[in-house]
Amino acid sequence: MSQFLVKEGVKNQIRKGEKLVTTHCCYCGMQCGMHIRVDEKNNKVVGVEPRYDWVLTKGKMCPKGVTAYQTIDHPDRIKTPLIKKNGKFVEATWDEALDLIESKYKGIQENYGKDAVGVYGGVSMTNEKCYLVGKYARVGLGTRYIDYNGRYCMSSAAGGFNKTLGMDRGSTLPWTELEHTDTFFMAGSNTAECHPTSIQWFWKAKDKGAKLIVADPRETATARVADVHLDLLPGTDSALANGIMHLLIKHDYVDNEYVQERCNNFEELKEMTAKFTPEYTSKLTGVAAEKIIKAAHIFGKSPRSVVMFARGAEQQTSGVDNVSLYTSMALLRGQIGKFASGVATFTGQGNGQGGREHGQKADALPGYRKIANPKDVEHVAGVWGIKPEEMPKEGVSAYEMFHLMQNKTIRALHVICSNPVVSSPNINYVQDSLEKLDFLVVNDFFMSETAELADVVLPATTWAEDEGTTTNIEGRVIRIRKVVDPIGESKPDWEIMSMIAERLGKGKYFDYNEPREIFDELRHASKGGKADYYGVTYEKIDEQDGVFWPAPTEDSKGTPSIFQERFATEDGRANLAVCDFRGPTEVQSNEYPLWLTTGRVVFHYLSGNQTRRVDFLMEQCPEPFVEMHPELASKYQIENGERVKLSTPRGEMITPVKITKAIRKDTMFVPYHWGKKLAVNQLTSPALDPFSRMPEFKVCAVKLEKLTK
Amino acid sequence: MNKIMYLEFERCIGCRACQAACRECGDHDAKERNYVEYVDFTESRQTFPMLCMQCKDPACARVCPANAIQITDEGVVLSAMEEKCIGCRNCTFGCPFGIPKFDFETNKMYKCDMCYDRTRHDIAPMCASVCPSDAIRFIDFDEMQQLRRKRTQMNLVEGKKPQEGNKWDYVPEFFGVYTDSQS
Repeated sequence: MSQFLVKEGVKNQIRKGEKLVTTHCCYCGMQCGMHIRVDEKNNKVVGVEPRYDWVLTKGKMCPKGVTAYQTIDHPDRIKTPLIKKNGKFVEATWDEALDLIESKYKGIQENYGKDAVGVYGGVSMTNEKCYLVGKYARVGLGTRYIDYNGRYCMSSAAGGFNKTLGMDRGSTLPWTELEHTDTFFMAGSNTAECHPTSIQWFWKAKDKGAKLIVADPRETATARVADVHLDLLPGTDSALANGIMHLLIKHDYVDNEYVQERCNNFEELKEMTAKFTPEYTSKLTGVAAEKIIKAAHIFGKSPRSVVMFARGAEQQTSGVDNVSLYTSMALLRGQIGKFASGVATFTGQGNGQGGREHGQKADALPGYRKIANPKDVEHVAGVWGIKPEEMPKEGVSAYEMFHLMQNKTIRALHVICSNPVVSSPNINYVQDSLEKLDFLVVNDFFMSETAELADVVLPATTWAEDEGTTTNIEGRVIRIRKVVDPIGESKPDWEIMSMIAERLGKGKYFDYNEPREIFDELRHASKGGKADYYGVTYEKIDEQDGVFWPAPTEDSKGTPSIFQERFATEDGRANLAVCDFRGPTEVQSNEYPLWLTTGRVVFHYLSGNQTRRVDFLMEQCPEPFVEMHPELASKYQIENGERVKLSTPRGEMITPVKITKAIRKDTMFVPYHWGKKLAVNQLTSPALDPFSRMPEFKVCAVKLEKLTK
Repeated sequence: MNKIMYLEFERCIGCRACQAACRECGDHDAKERNYVEYVDFTESRQTFPMLCMQCKDPACARVCPANAIQITDEGVVLSAMEEKCIGCRNCTFGCPFGIPKFDFETNKMYKCDMCYDRTRHDIAPMCASVCPSDAIRFIDFDEMQQLRRKRTQMNLVEGKKPQEGNKWDYVPEFFGVYTDSQS
């Protein structure tokens, strides 16, 4: 069991008979530091204690973090393997479950080829596990069809960063610098609810006079105190960014020296943004022209600014464009690579950063290597001990995998750490696709909506029952510690994958005794890649409060600030984005006259499979709701709390109304953490970004109906 | 204990971490003793935390016929002693801030004790420890005074002070002006 790590000079309350285990939260990308209280006698988790000495979060936690420990020894935990017989789950032994999986996988692969078995991963787990999911699919199963839930989360940010900066690290600067920033430009991020503990840094900066510009259709807690709230129509971020850049150029706020030295495409960008006058931008975005002008002046004048964005801007069919354009705003001002300045995306999932770097993506291998690049394949094949020609080819994106289940290309699926029948768009289709499978295996520790459809459910452990590392919102690699032994017969995902691989005759490639061995292999697999973890070790993480990648050599201390000298593109120069406004795929019509957008509430995390089982969180927010403006409610004669029907061509839901002026008059908002009849993702649009294949969760045209009493 | 609890309502983001954390304090029986309220959700998302003011001459203790509410040497107003509380609920009516809660099952009152088992050792109470926005702080008396002076200073820096009639535009007064388009 892990050592106790409270630092000298930091006082914590340690009760008699209890010990504290130092770790991080299991939820969002902030990865807040925490100590977990363990009863020394019976080795049970009994509570939580703030970790005041953790450099990024200073002991602060949101309500999810405070109650996270309650999911560990929860009565709903799945403690044995379950096999579905005659439509009902029956408890089974590991041998029975593995026998069945072995025979089904072998049978399907013999009859229909290796690719008939797919893998659907997730990134709410450690780097070690995420890395192994990629290897499990390619070496263990030999299938090309692997993708993961990060496709719904970070893929547009990754695409945009790769295009403009040549490398995708969520933040170009460590967030402990944020208190020195002069202006924040935040787009499509409900920071206060989705990453609550980051607020301390923004408020600290504000105490010193920093300005805040927020682009969001809703007046969120951050928008409320912003100097300018750009209340844009959902799906119009690219117009807004072009409009701001138009003004930056017009008013001579461009850092010419920086742009000339370090950026390509400035002339083309000038040409493209020429038409985005405040009036034109205002027409497209629905934001008053004066507000756009004011925002541009504040942003243009500030010596140190950070441009930040999140799913609001990214979960659109023009998500990659939006990210590239917002990043270009920072480039025009010469901000990237300097102190307390730069660009950052808010990583939604706990290990959304690390999990996307090491080969869970259909086209990627560890260290951001590409499966289409023969040199990359050669390196990784060497580390894995296979022949390069044995490496499967590129697969398809998460949502596109469901098309392949419909046409029987994929006949069996292994879902690891994800709940796609709640988190995908258009989930009625997704559920139908999963039902068409011949065989579905799900690893989870609670019976998720996806697990309910499975033929075999394998009991995985929670984050607190295994060692490992994650990479937080800043790109800092940190340690997750084992707090207690696995509960019941549950096993960590890496052990489960190794056991299945062994059944398939690939055991020699998965011979691990502990996560540290997997991490060492990951270090070598990522060596020389863009996300280079070679110099990251467990010891170094403890010594220096985490290690920022890239850390290319054994003695490297890591790289907190990136792009100080050159960008990671081939010519070392950033590519300014030249993108026209495309608009969302769906348009309003007489039948569907309103806009629907979705998001999170502070009390729940992703598909809610964990947070919907915590008493405090359910007391605060037991069911979804639709937020609408009183003027809209009045048009439909709807009262606060009344249940209404929302529908799109894909599905419908009935949900209570919350009336507030803190939202646009033409837009409604519903949180997405519930499944089945309560799922707003029955309604959302599956249109994909052409580059990142990220679905357009954030914009669809919708019909609102008052229910007759 | 020379530290004080300092609340800045306008910093609150409504996450209710303080309430979740209150349940985690060892002596709190997994029941929270603090509050987070919307000012008016129809108008805006502004919320504010509310907890015991630890009054010098607390009404709750004064109206208690059983002398169940004790005040420590440091001035912390404790929750009613279980063996003394007679469940009359006088304290809940007496408190001008609506702080004491009443458990109808056990017929006892319970209230914020500033996490006395932490604060008497100079460890911050749970609510102030976790508050992500520093709306609730547990700080030195001097630091509090400094923050008070700074509020005035920031109003001067921004050159604007809320007037009667437009206070709503300025609720986050410490954070400066709202938008020029409104003035």
